[in-house]
Amino acid sequence: MDPSEVEFLAEKEMVTIVPNFSLDKIYLIGGDLGPFNPGLPVAVPVWLAINLKQRQKCRIIPPEWMDVEKLEEIREQERKEETFTPIPNPYYMELTKLLLNHASDNIPKADEIRTLVKDTWDTRIAKLRLSADSFVSQQEAHARLDNLTLMEINTIGTFLTDSLNHMYKLRTNLQPGKETGKSQDF
Amino acid sequence: MTTESYLPVPPGVGMEENFLSLDDILLSQEKLPTRTECVFPRLGFVEKTSDTRDIPEGTKMEMPLWLSKGLYDNKRRLVSVEQPKIYRQGWRTVFSADPNVVDLHKMGPYYYGLGSQLLHFDSPENPEIAQTVLQTYIGRFRRIMDCSQNAYNEDTSALVERLDVLERCLFHTGQIGLNDFQRWEKGQASQITASNLVQNYRKRKFPDLEA
Repeated sequence: MDPSEVEFLAEKEMVTIVPNFSLDKIYLIGGDLGPFNPGLPVAVPVWLAINLKQRQKCRIIPPEWMDVEKLEEIREQERKEETFTPIPNPYYMELTKLLLNHASDNIPKADEIRTLVKDTWDTRIAKLRLSADSFVSQQEAHARLDNLTLMEINTIGTFLTDSLNHMYKLRTNLQPGKETGKSQDF
Repeated sequence: MTTESYLPVPPGVGMEENFLSLDDILLSQEKLPTRTECVFPRLGFVEKTSDTRDIPEGTKMEMPLWLSKGLYDNKRRLVSVEQPKIYRQGWRTVFSADPNVVDLHKMGPYYYGLGSQLLHFDSPENPEIAQTVLQTYIGRFRRIMDCSQNAYNEDTSALVERLDVLERCLFHTGQIGLNDFQRWEKGQASQITASNLVQNYRKRKFPDLEA
């Protein structure tokens, strides 16, 4: 999967905005988006929020987890634990990038937030690599990893599956001699 | 998203070879030290060191893998294959001590592939060879993963030169994953760029106008 595809999936998450225009309720295939009144907060998907922001028709309110203290707490917990801690939003990386690129004026302490999220990401990726390495070196058959996000899985996914395929084939060398019918399909 | 103009056939790792895979075809060109078990009449011209008309029994020759595999028979009437140096006991000890220091590219760039193919020729040391190949792979995995996932926008030739062909493929996959993610983070993933295929046609005049 592409990172852009993961970002596309992340844009379905809901975020609160404060519009400066008024519009009646709109009925979309995915659901209704409720009437827009200037000054009143309303929940919309991120793709719409970004679009309205770019046209300067709204102000984005940061989600409640996008806060310096909360993120610091999450980062510290991530560094202490050996397993993956549950994070507030399964698309934290993508949302950080989107919201901080388009709406940094609406988010207080944007740079610090960016650094904190990047630190958390680095810690989680390091844990993922450690876990992949122990998976291979002990030749386990399956592993269980809770609380991983799609973006993290996607970055390491192809590499890990390829290397495990190779390892599996090298392991079948150890059991010689069953010449099963040779067939190839592409 | 990278689109290639063709889908390359991957090599068959392990005892099978993919007929259409270019990597496997190059692998089967690797030479193995062999010894003929019977006379090969009138093929003396193949063996350049001797001038006889036939190849006598017991000659030691180097044959490519594809020829050895074709001529090898379980009852061992035609050729017998010896293992190349790196699959023998001495080197096996080196690999089990520390797989990371060995320059696998110099030891024949197809260490894993040739090691797996050697298992076709029955030899009492086959289980140990298979085990050593597997353990070497596992031992070097960590180094490959770290290198490929951390070297962004650098010259990786120093890292790659000690790797075998299979490991280079893996390294390349890891680099693609890393580069894609970094591109996305920088925001370049949504920029439209000319595709490789179109640039290869060299018919684009627009960039020339700009230059």
